[in-house]
Amino acid sequence: MLEGKLVRLRAIEPEDRARAAAWLSDPEVTRYLTYRYPSSDGDWMAGPPGPNGYANGVWLSIDTHAGEHIGAVNLHRVHYEDRKAALGIVVGAKSYWGKGFGGDAVLTLARFAFDEMNLNRVWLTVVEDHAAAIACYKRGGFQEEARLRQEVYRDGRFLDFVQMGILRREFEALISKGGSDA
Amino acid sequence: MLEGKLVNLRPLERDDLDREFQWVNDTDVTRYLGMRYPVSKAQEEQWLNSRPANDFGNTALAIETKDGVHIGNIGLHEGQPENRKASLGIMIGDKDYWSNGYGTDAIVTLLRFAFHEMNMNRVWLHVYAFNERAIACYKKCGFVIEGTLRENSYREGRYIDAITMGILRAEFESLHAKGESDA
Repeated sequence: MLEGKLVRLRAIEPEDRARAAAWLSDPEVTRYLTYRYPSSDGDWMAGPPGPNGYANGVWLSIDTHAGEHIGAVNLHRVHYEDRKAALGIVVGAKSYWGKGFGGDAVLTLARFAFDEMNLNRVWLTVVEDHAAAIACYKRGGFQEEARLRQEVYRDGRFLDFVQMGILRREFEALISKGGSDA
Repeated sequence: MLEGKLVNLRPLERDDLDREFQWVNDTDVTRYLGMRYPVSKAQEEQWLNSRPANDFGNTALAIETKDGVHIGNIGLHEGQPENRKASLGIMIGDKDYWSNGYGTDAIVTLLRFAFHEMNMNRVWLHVYAFNERAIACYKKCGFVIEGTLRENSYREGRYIDAITMGILRAEFESLHAKGESDA
């Protein structure tokens, strides 16, 4: 269990799947994801094929401190030698959007990535027009590193994606300044 | 067979093994690539023999000079049909052929295939920031620098940045008139 200020990150359980399936059937949720084809079972958020770790990545459900399951985060493409991983997040419970829960989940997972997994770099890509997410990642210390032109085709057109990254020393500087409550 | 001006691109064959084995174990070659661990001849042979047919998701080709000398490999990987993009990788394993335009011609030839036959919209790649010769070559082919991925890789005792580059179909068309390979 990873404790944040607003959320707790815990291993994914089979009963999370029905909620995941409901979120993934909501176009307001999926428009910012790479999820595309309708699927009835929430498999896309079911977690890794084996235990959490370098080999399978880390897949966790996001609970509020009151115990409500509101989404999921993951570290995928974990690279042993380069000590880096990609971060993904879905907050499916829309009533929790814009209130800092996603940002707290990102910081909590980044802390785990650096302090427990001993990674050096965490990166992500986000669709260019998702301003709220980009602002959230910036508050969490991520820097814009690249603009991937026409990276993804959605909704009848090619969209640019922004690639962002945070290094371990940047995260530690942010935490020591008390910025962890972004 | 894909025909360029200086090179042809052809499928990999089993009797390419000796050269492949030598190249993937040559640190002068692999220090620019994602490869790290020594590869046995048996492993390299298995890789050559078990390769699936070239298709949208993955294509790997041998680069041959017009005299029939196999000098390296080039490929398109991670092909995504919805996003119509793929990543490009190239290795000139025969060091005698470095810096003579063979890589550039191979890339332009494969890009033409990617855009005109595979119907890709975007081809991208990552290159170590210290590999200035490669970056200049990619620029000559029409790739645009899209950003710098900080400390993206660990090689030779330090973290190094990667440059991410991309070329769009429309950019390729305006640079390279149809049927020409004048890069």
